[in-house]
Amino acid sequence: MAGKIIADTIETGAGANVSTSYVVNGSAKAWANINGTGTIAFSDSLNCASLTDHSSGIFTTSFTNSMNNASYSTATACNLNNAYSGDMIVDTHATGSIKTKTYYGASYAGTDVTINCHSNFGDLA
Amino acid sequence: MNTPSFKGTHLWDRLCWAKENLEPYQSDYRVVYEDSIDECAKILVPDPNWMACALQGGILPPVWVYHELAKDEAQEDFKKHTRGYLLHETEPVGAMTEEEAIEYLIMKDCPDSVWKTYNEGNRPKMVICTKQQLPQTREWRNAWKIDVAA
Repeated sequence: MAGKIIADTIETGAGANVSTSYVVNGSAKAWANINGTGTIAFSDSLNCASLTDHSSGIFTTSFTNSMNNASYSTATACNLNNAYSGDMIVDTHATGSIKTKTYYGASYAGTDVTINCHSNFGDLA
Repeated sequence: MNTPSFKGTHLWDRLCWAKENLEPYQSDYRVVYEDSIDECAKILVPDPNWMACALQGGILPPVWVYHELAKDEAQEDFKKHTRGYLLHETEPVGAMTEEEAIEYLIMKDCPDSVWKTYNEGNRPKMVICTKQQLPQTREWRNAWKIDVAA
């Protein structure tokens, strides 16, 4: 690497400071924006290796740098463009991957939409 | 651009360097496989940023590292990884061709019950194809295959 900064705190010009551990622990360690229509594909990502398309709306994203345990936290978002209620939810957490489902309607039917996002927070292996 | 000497550098830092310095590469290759007779075929799609790392070389750990971590996670009393250092301290693999990268990814992300015996039995349970060879409609993969002769 070209350079290295070691610091315990980050301080603004106004004197407000925060421990760097807040930044390290609070940053997403893996994230992805997935286009689920047609043949699925990453729109962009960090720390992801592949996508597996299981069926409508159901994907597994594998990580390059595994998480330390399977209890990491995930935030999701998607663009359901219809009148039904729905969401993108976590199906399974594993240290090396996450399986998600985007669904709509009371039957929880999986559906393919153009934006499926997940950000994962926790410790890396 | 040459890859910095990354041996001993945290894998996360290597991926951040790649994200900033390498152009993503979207491979046309896709992997179609079946790992359960009760489920439709699955399609594996490589990540463009990961593929850039594979083609560049000197960033990704050898695939056996992932197999070792998977063994640990399969233990009944697994709580968290204690051998994560394998990801960071093992000598990174060199530059791969696109085809070698796909093979690496299969061994990393497909179930080993698929890729170790993909061509045994009465028909292959895994094929590598191009994106253009896959139907663009969902019906193909979610539908039962009807035997016309029957």
